[in-house]
Amino acid sequence: MDPECSRLLPALCAVLADPRQLVADDTCLEKLLDWFKTVMETESSLQLLQDHPCLMELLSHVLKPQDMSPRVLSFALRLVGIFAAQEDCFQYLQQGELLLGLFGETGALSWAAWSVPSVRSGWIQGLCSLVRHPSALHFLADSGAVDTIFSLQGDPSLFVASAASQLLVHILALAMQGGASGSPTREAAAWPVCAQKIVNHVEESLHSKATPQVTQALNVLTTTFGRCHSPWTRVLWERLSPSVACLFERDPIPAVHSLMDLLLSVARSPVLNFSACGLWEMLAQTLNRLSPTQAGPLALGTLKLQHCPQELRTRAFSVLLQPLACILKATTQAPGPPGLLDGAADSLLTVDTLLSSKSTCVGLLCQTLAHLEELQMLPQCPSPWPQVPLLGAAVTILRLCDGSADPSSSVGGRLCGTLGGCVRVQRAALDFLGTLSQGMGPLELVLEVFAVLLKTLESPESSPMVLKKAFQATLRWLQNSHKTPSCSDLSADALLFLGELFPILQKRLCSPCWEVRDSALEFLTHLIRHWGGQADFREALRSSEVPAFAHQLLQDPESYVRASAVGAAGQLSTRGLQAAPTSPENPQAQQGLLMDLMHILSTDSEGFPRRAVLRVFTEWLRDGHADVVQDTEWFVATVLQAVSRDLDWEVRVQGLELAQVFLIQAMGQPSLRCPYTVGLPEATSPSPHPEFLQTLCRLPLFEFAFCALLDCDRPVAQKACDLLLFLRDKTSSCSGTQEVGDNPSSASVEAVLQRWREGEQGQLLGDLDPEAMLAILRSLDLEGLQDKLAKSSDHVEKSPQSLLQDMLATVGILEENEADCY
Amino acid sequence: MPEIRVTPLGAGQDVGRSCILVSISGKNVMLDCGMHMGYNDDRRFPDFSYITQSGRLTDFLDCVIISHFHLDHCGALPYFSEMVGYDGPIYMTHPTQAICPILLEDYRKIAVDKKGEANFFTSQMIKDCMKKVVAVHLHQTVQVDDELEIKAYYAGHVLGAAMFQIKVGSESVVYTGDYNMTPDRHLGAAWIDKCRPNLLITESTYATTIRDSKRCRERDFLKKVHETVERGGKVLIPVFALGRAQELCILLETFWERMNLKVPIYFSTGLTEKANHYYKLFITWTNQKIRKTFVQRNMFEFKHIKAFDRTFADNPGPMVVFATPGMLHAGQSLQIFRKWAGNEKNMVIMPGYCVQGTVGHKILSGQRKLEMEGRQVLEVKMQVEYMSFSAHADAKGIMQLVGQAEPESVLLVHGEAKKMEFLRQKIEQEFRVSCYMPANGETVTLPTSPSIPVGISLGLLKREMVQGLLPEAKKPRLLHGTLIMKDSSFRLVSSEQALKELGLAEHQLRFTCRVHLQDTRKEQETALRVYSHLKSTLKDHCVQHLPDGSVTVESILIQAAAHSEDPGTKVLLVSWTYQDEELGSFLTALLKNGLPQAPS
Repeated sequence: MDPECSRLLPALCAVLADPRQLVADDTCLEKLLDWFKTVMETESSLQLLQDHPCLMELLSHVLKPQDMSPRVLSFALRLVGIFAAQEDCFQYLQQGELLLGLFGETGALSWAAWSVPSVRSGWIQGLCSLVRHPSALHFLADSGAVDTIFSLQGDPSLFVASAASQLLVHILALAMQGGASGSPTREAAAWPVCAQKIVNHVEESLHSKATPQVTQALNVLTTTFGRCHSPWTRVLWERLSPSVACLFERDPIPAVHSLMDLLLSVARSPVLNFSACGLWEMLAQTLNRLSPTQAGPLALGTLKLQHCPQELRTRAFSVLLQPLACILKATTQAPGPPGLLDGAADSLLTVDTLLSSKSTCVGLLCQTLAHLEELQMLPQCPSPWPQVPLLGAAVTILRLCDGSADPSSSVGGRLCGTLGGCVRVQRAALDFLGTLSQGMGPLELVLEVFAVLLKTLESPESSPMVLKKAFQATLRWLQNSHKTPSCSDLSADALLFLGELFPILQKRLCSPCWEVRDSALEFLTHLIRHWGGQADFREALRSSEVPAFAHQLLQDPESYVRASAVGAAGQLSTRGLQAAPTSPENPQAQQGLLMDLMHILSTDSEGFPRRAVLRVFTEWLRDGHADVVQDTEWFVATVLQAVSRDLDWEVRVQGLELAQVFLIQAMGQPSLRCPYTVGLPEATSPSPHPEFLQTLCRLPLFEFAFCALLDCDRPVAQKACDLLLFLRDKTSSCSGTQEVGDNPSSASVEAVLQRWREGEQGQLLGDLDPEAMLAILRSLDLEGLQDKLAKSSDHVEKSPQSLLQDMLATVGILEENEADCY
Repeated sequence: MPEIRVTPLGAGQDVGRSCILVSISGKNVMLDCGMHMGYNDDRRFPDFSYITQSGRLTDFLDCVIISHFHLDHCGALPYFSEMVGYDGPIYMTHPTQAICPILLEDYRKIAVDKKGEANFFTSQMIKDCMKKVVAVHLHQTVQVDDELEIKAYYAGHVLGAAMFQIKVGSESVVYTGDYNMTPDRHLGAAWIDKCRPNLLITESTYATTIRDSKRCRERDFLKKVHETVERGGKVLIPVFALGRAQELCILLETFWERMNLKVPIYFSTGLTEKANHYYKLFITWTNQKIRKTFVQRNMFEFKHIKAFDRTFADNPGPMVVFATPGMLHAGQSLQIFRKWAGNEKNMVIMPGYCVQGTVGHKILSGQRKLEMEGRQVLEVKMQVEYMSFSAHADAKGIMQLVGQAEPESVLLVHGEAKKMEFLRQKIEQEFRVSCYMPANGETVTLPTSPSIPVGISLGLLKREMVQGLLPEAKKPRLLHGTLIMKDSSFRLVSSEQALKELGLAEHQLRFTCRVHLQDTRKEQETALRVYSHLKSTLKDHCVQHLPDGSVTVESILIQAAAHSEDPGTKVLLVSWTYQDEELGSFLTALLKNGLPQAPS
């Protein structure tokens, strides 16, 4: 422990032990525990206790807890646990009867403060830290603590109850691992006492008539099989599976969700032989017994399993597909396109069940669509995947939602009534439809997809969130439509679709909702990024007014939209698709955008658009955009001038990024500092032309980076440091060329450095010649600065000394009504 | 049994990050989604894994409601929606929707700046999260779905702060968020109608306090700033971009105007313009005074407050600077503080709470020698002042709100356990309602008795009206009719209409009662005596003696028979229909009293 902390600790312990003193707040005590945990990782806790008697004094105070605040009691219980995790310290505390006094039946349980959940939670967490060695297990068995943990499983506080279950798993695992010498035995009598107690309790709970108790037992088992993969878990399952199987005989099945979690957790365990232990039968039985809503998660879980009999997988998949099969059946006129689960005799779900109430129907459909979406993206995705009927179902659902479905039956009509205008289902269906684009489908169905997407995008009823999802789904379908490995061109159908889409997009760009305008711009930017080089696409876009509308949004009142408009306009310009058609004779329009963006950079009151401008500019510089290439020096100088005054540090960081791109273009990539390159001949990067160094001074790029080194925002200083290191590396060869003797600029360099060290970074450096610049670069300890900046800016305030000082400093100044918030 | 369940994941017996789960008749709503500024790790966010053990969050939660833009109420929102994966709707008022992303962005920048935290939400995530927001107007009933509706009420506290009523069928819960029952310089007082919710969830920050007038604190603040600049000192006021800053700006602006002061006031964030824009835009949310003066002069257009440039900090002479962040833990405010700390003429005023580990917390706890990087020690000679301007209802205000809303029960959040206990007793005594104060993770379950709405047919109502009895709100009245349950709805109609609608034939129900009379005469004579007696007693009714010897009064039929065992006793069989229940009972009672002695 740091000597300064050692010095402060006694005073702090005295404060904590004094019930009249108010302790700062819970966060301080939490951080104090964090610190003790860190200390214990490297030091002996026994030694620590012996070296700091104040700690023992504090802990013994807790044995008389009449006036102590619950938060200090909770803290002390947890602290003791951390100390007692080391066995020698445990023995030491045990001798002093402290452990029994805190964790025994006459300990914390008898305190008035036991009614406070944080104290019970502290008791559990203390024990959880403590149970790390065999002595702790004996202590648990003798002290009656295990029984208390059992009762805490049903605690009114969710946090306490959950922690109690976790603790039982922890104890069981430790006991079984420690006790199992050789192969695990089925004889309960041979198991360690603690393990016997816990397993008996779990078994009893499984037989209980009270559902909460069954749930607790199932949760303990789920966590156990999830965390422990030793052979003893096999024995445990053999012993308890009959009790679990009994639960299926009850009607209704108790604690269904927990039971499903347990079955899946057991099924994922690598040590169990499932065919032998009857798990597959149990899973199949459960799938059959549960209602469609309940069975959905189990079916998905089953399909995600690595090894699972094909029959069970088929069963699970059909459970997942049922709701959509129902929808198709209810809306398709026979003979129609292929449905889902055609010919399956034992369909559990009837349309009537599905339609029994609107909330059940909506809930079940949303869940099913989300499950299928998740499943399709997994390697365990069932094959063959019924892409066509699923596509049909997704389209049908969207039509039922937007009211355009033509229900063929009365049931279909009822579905229309239930799902009409239901945004929740619409959102889920659009997400699913987007994922289905991976598999495509027959042309007529794809055209239907495009049609329903257009309908959604066009509908005045569509909410901003639905529109966003519709844009996303559209993009995915366009990306995947008739994709061939060699060709990324849009298909003829997609182009036709675009012809209809652009007028709608145009309309959406003028939406009164900023969310819609923004989603439309994001969509447009993606479109151009993908197909901006394709002639047909360019033609379709040019013939619409979309580029002009997008350009107008540079003046949008909403900053998010302005930022997205900057991105879109940047992309349009990169691809030569900007609003006013430019020709070599008419460069004004193009220059107009550059000036517009410059204007945004220097005047926009918000960071997002300014940051977006810098992203565009950096990309332009990197890609050699015509306007930038025309006068790169002017471009960089103007940008840096605007950025240096910016109040948003992220803009300043991006300004440095742009400067770095500029330097790399002129001076080459940074040299690799990889250890494996040591033996290789030095990559010969040409030393920069003296004229280029002049340029850097003139821009003034160097001055910008130099000032940024002392920026009050750490990321800026870090970036500047990296940039200057790069510059120093690249100019190191130049330094040799300097003549020995009096450097005419040394005095001014010294003056500059002096001013800089005094923190007057706001002052301009004045006119520097390249020599002075190089001299400054060499005289800075950039590596040292880099190390310093690598630490968080509040590392001093976050140190343990700072914490102890703060806690001590607040003593006495906390008043009754100190509670305040923002 | 329908019930309301409430589980705080945050703000249960603490003033940390508010996050309260409410379940009303199967609908699940999350109230607020705040973060704790005191932690730099996962502990800063509520543990969302407790929301549901099974299924997806989006399927489980019907909606999230955010009461106002303070980070302890909305700071975890982008994390929850973009990183944990909630994809459902989020409701908040229009000003909150506008201001929330500014504060989230401000905080993100500080978090990333300070620690270089990579695992933090990004600007794009904040934007995507805000796209899920559905903005609501005050007093607008918003249908989340067919069964769940919400309604916002004015809460004061900060611009756009709202209390929310959440209603499922006849069950309702009101969540106050943070509120203020007294108007302040730019906001009005909270108000709610007598909505009589099943449960009122109220904040209780100042549960035991009667707060002094905010005017005194404001006067004190102005005096301190004035004194410092008068003696040539500089005043630093670390603030978060929005909220308190605007309040103090108005305060200084008016004071500068009144005193004709020339000392410059700067605002360092570059956000003033946007912040002020929102205050202008949402002028209806401010108090009456501001709204009135708006016609002549917009109070948020500051004449004296100018944008700050980093070089100004070194300028000689007095000045006042508002700089972010508010706890002096990074960035501009900390940099200015370092420059000015050494001069005893200067002053720093902390207008809000500071968490441990920040320079703000250190200087407020009286530390004057601060260790900086590289073992440098910064000696703080400047004056340090703390001023609480937070606008919460005090004990009196909370009681006032309970009285206003008349809830069936109350649940306290956002306060300290000890103080809550005091207020709990007070509420239970004064209002005779149950009051709960669950800790984080504890669930309070309230059984509710649902009232079932029944429609009444116009015909039935008209019939009642014809009877001349006008309905009165406070006097319940008995109304006879037939209750028809059809398509899960109830209607009360006249029995005739019910028969017609349901296509049923009416059954006649007759009641018969035996009355024993001591009479040795023959049955016919007894019947005649009964007839004479009734004829003379019931002058307004039609009493008839029928040829078969029986007597009728309206629909009531009376027949006399001999007693099988006792010849001295005659049995009168009185029978009447359901419609003549009253007359039938009356006659029976009358005959039981016996017949008048006939002259023998």
